[in-house]
Amino acid sequence: MQILLYILKRIVQTIPLLIIVSLISFFIIRLSPVDPLAELRLNPSVSKETLQKESERLGLDKPIIIQYGKWAKAFLKGDLGVTSNGEQVSSKLKERIPNTLLLTAVVIFLSWSVGIPLGILSAVYWKSPFDRALTILTSIGMAVPSFFFAVLLLIFAVKTGWFPIGGLTGSNYLEMSFGQKVLDIAHHLVLPVTVLFTLSLAGLQRQMRGNLLDVLDSDYVKFARAKGLSEFKVIFKHAFRNAVNPLITLLGFEFAGLLSGAALTEYVFQYPGLGRLILEAVLKSDINLVMASLMMGAVMLIVGNLIADILLIITDPRIRGGQA
Amino acid sequence: MRRVIWVIFVILTVLLFSKACLNADIPDLQKPVLRPKFETKDADYPIQKNVTINGVDYLESQLPTGKFGGTFVTSTIGEGPKTFNPFNSKDNISSTMSEIMYDGLVTTNPVTGEVIPKLAKSFTVNGCEYIIKLRKGVKWSDGKPVTADDVVFTWQNIIFDGFGNTSTRDSVVIDGKLPAVEKIDDYTIKFITPKPFAPFLRMLSSPIAPKHIFEPAVKRGKEYFDSFLSTTAKPEDFVTSGAFRLKEYVPAQRAVFERNPNYYVINKDGQKLPYLDKIVYLIVGDINNQVLKFEGGELDEISLQGANVARFKEMEKHSNFTVFNIGPDTGTMYIALNMNNRRDDKGNFYVNPVKQKWFQDKNFRQAIDYAIDRKNMVFNIANGLAEPLFTPETLNSVFLNKDLKPYEKDINKSKELLIKSGFSWDKAGHLIDKFGNHVEFDLYTNAGNTEREAIGVMVKQDLEDLGMKVNFKPVEFNSLVNKLMSTFDWDMVIMGFTGSPLEPNGGKNVWLSDGTLHIFNQRLEKDLNSPRYPFEKRLDYLYTQGALAVKFEDRKKYYDEYQALVYDEKPLIYIYSPIRTGALRNKFKNIYPTSLGGITHNIEEIYIEDN
Repeated sequence: MQILLYILKRIVQTIPLLIIVSLISFFIIRLSPVDPLAELRLNPSVSKETLQKESERLGLDKPIIIQYGKWAKAFLKGDLGVTSNGEQVSSKLKERIPNTLLLTAVVIFLSWSVGIPLGILSAVYWKSPFDRALTILTSIGMAVPSFFFAVLLLIFAVKTGWFPIGGLTGSNYLEMSFGQKVLDIAHHLVLPVTVLFTLSLAGLQRQMRGNLLDVLDSDYVKFARAKGLSEFKVIFKHAFRNAVNPLITLLGFEFAGLLSGAALTEYVFQYPGLGRLILEAVLKSDINLVMASLMMGAVMLIVGNLIADILLIITDPRIRGGQA
Repeated sequence: MRRVIWVIFVILTVLLFSKACLNADIPDLQKPVLRPKFETKDADYPIQKNVTINGVDYLESQLPTGKFGGTFVTSTIGEGPKTFNPFNSKDNISSTMSEIMYDGLVTTNPVTGEVIPKLAKSFTVNGCEYIIKLRKGVKWSDGKPVTADDVVFTWQNIIFDGFGNTSTRDSVVIDGKLPAVEKIDDYTIKFITPKPFAPFLRMLSSPIAPKHIFEPAVKRGKEYFDSFLSTTAKPEDFVTSGAFRLKEYVPAQRAVFERNPNYYVINKDGQKLPYLDKIVYLIVGDINNQVLKFEGGELDEISLQGANVARFKEMEKHSNFTVFNIGPDTGTMYIALNMNNRRDDKGNFYVNPVKQKWFQDKNFRQAIDYAIDRKNMVFNIANGLAEPLFTPETLNSVFLNKDLKPYEKDINKSKELLIKSGFSWDKAGHLIDKFGNHVEFDLYTNAGNTEREAIGVMVKQDLEDLGMKVNFKPVEFNSLVNKLMSTFDWDMVIMGFTGSPLEPNGGKNVWLSDGTLHIFNQRLEKDLNSPRYPFEKRLDYLYTQGALAVKFEDRKKYYDEYQALVYDEKPLIYIYSPIRTGALRNKFKNIYPTSLGGITHNIEEIYIEDN
């Protein structure tokens, strides 16, 4: 009951937040000097009437505040509007969301299932050669910029011919059997996943190691050891549960990054995901598309944080106590 | 002490690494080469001929018979097509893709630029009357025959009624009136233009739509039509007449086209073309990725720019592709001076009156023209892959006035011209006009376009030789357009246009004094009746007459004079036209690149040879 009340409170709090986010983003986009019709204006074969029609269709002939009002009204009704090419924003997003989700979900799954155990291991074998080697590797992983790493891997793909150069499916995808399709997608995913995985693995491993080291040094762990518990039990029953809290918060952020975290990598690999769509939309000031994606990002962040907080309440009795 | 040794060690290692990188890079650096003259087979492409077999009017390919099958993979840069409806396309990619699927009545001879029949079997022009005979027995991809009803429907109910992109309609309006179209019999159509209007014949290359598919959409109104056959339409819904039809479209990845088994072009053995089974357009985000994909073997064709040409030319020797040079492009690069002499709503001049005196002085404009070193720019900016340009019609245009000769930079001539107009130089070598004002102005271009920025730097240097002070200011594209189109607070600008090598009338928005892109003296709605310069009046006359004349020779006279006028008056100072180059894998045969058509203009005749 308490938790339900808490969730309700949090949801109510998000409403003004979303309004502010939408206002700021809308005005910043509209006040930037990007004219969505500039290309058309400099095309000798486009007539004045066409330009006039276009600016009416996009609502550019009205003051900004009215444009915002129109957008907000439609948004509340669940209508995301049309892109500057006249396509439905929602169908545009629907095309891309599964692709991005596929990429980020694979990355998150891999990095968590590898990063957490590695973090635990290097904390347990603190200052051993294994720990040091991992430290060096993860430092490199954190230091290399993602786009640079992505470009390196692309050149690797060109030179060796082992991997496709960007994209998600091969050109004869339509004629493949189901098994071939899965293999084809996996083949295309290797490089982008490698880039994102390296990056997020490094951060996660360092975080887990640091947390666990803090906890291993505390009195109750010493006490557990003194009690004669097995080392396995000490770490997983006593230390790990206490070390995991910051990671749950991190998980909330990862959730927010599900849809928007891979934009740069997507762009370099020409991956048909949301990141590329939104980047192109921003460049052309395609307002409905940009607004939809920004709002989606904001909602995802809020939801991610909410989930993390609820998980924290469930796992940590101390927080539960504080809530009452 | 040990620490110091460590630090030195690390620094040394890093230095050694960097040295290694430097060394590796040097062999890749190449000096810009002069435009590589590699042969094109421009002239010997045999045009397809009409043949009638069993009552069906086919077009017969005159090229050697090839093998059927295979895929051609090419690419487009950007977001990909926005629609597959040929009447809605507003961008190049959408038009290219819809043109593969829908043929027009006529097309362009890729060698000479003449209008030749396509879906029409023949056409006759008699003043304002155009009689079109259709091919008998040609079928849509669903098996229904292509008849005069489809043509009349397309022109009357889609184009003239203003559905989709109205630019075709806008360009055939003559004195506010539209041409008329009527069906004479099932295979004959008559068009009547209100006045003789030469560009109309070429407009007949607009795609023809199948009436039985498009009519329901037209009946549901313009708003519905805008989304009809968009990128979300199912491939099965397309009923087409072209060589290929849509098979699959995956957003942001690719569009796949498959051969149309009912196509009306046959080879010499009587087999229906095209040879290729599929054309794949990969949708790539930027040029770098496109180049990587070509090098990785994922693409069969690529168009090349700048430094890549020299690199590909080098790679060509030990690779399985050929680099083609198909001559000057339709693109132009020019400098414009703001000749606006009007006032804004508050009564202030758009252009400072002191500067107006310079910019409206023909000698001043010519002096700038002679001071510019076009050759230097071609070598250093375009890597030798461009041709100096002096006329508004591009070098591959069939209307090019060949009497207007190119000339070299001549700083003395510039100085003479300036002295003639009363300019002089002070002790420090700065140019001053006859009222004692220092000549100083701003030069704009759009930031981010490295080519134009480089030209700007060189123009600035060239003009400084004349003692002019030029403040070069690259600004963001949209704000530049705003300056050019509505606020007019600019002095000099470097911009580019794309023209048509076949039809000068497409440039009417630039050259007519009330045109929407009359860039050097743009008039707002309220200024449309303001006084014209004498040469503007002459241009208006020449442009209007050029469109009304019908015979090529008559038209050529008007357009020759317009080019001579621009060559002399220099409202726009042309710099160069880029040269188009592309690479194509050697396995493709029947390749006849032409300057007008490009490398793969005869896509239905191209086949793959097995090794």
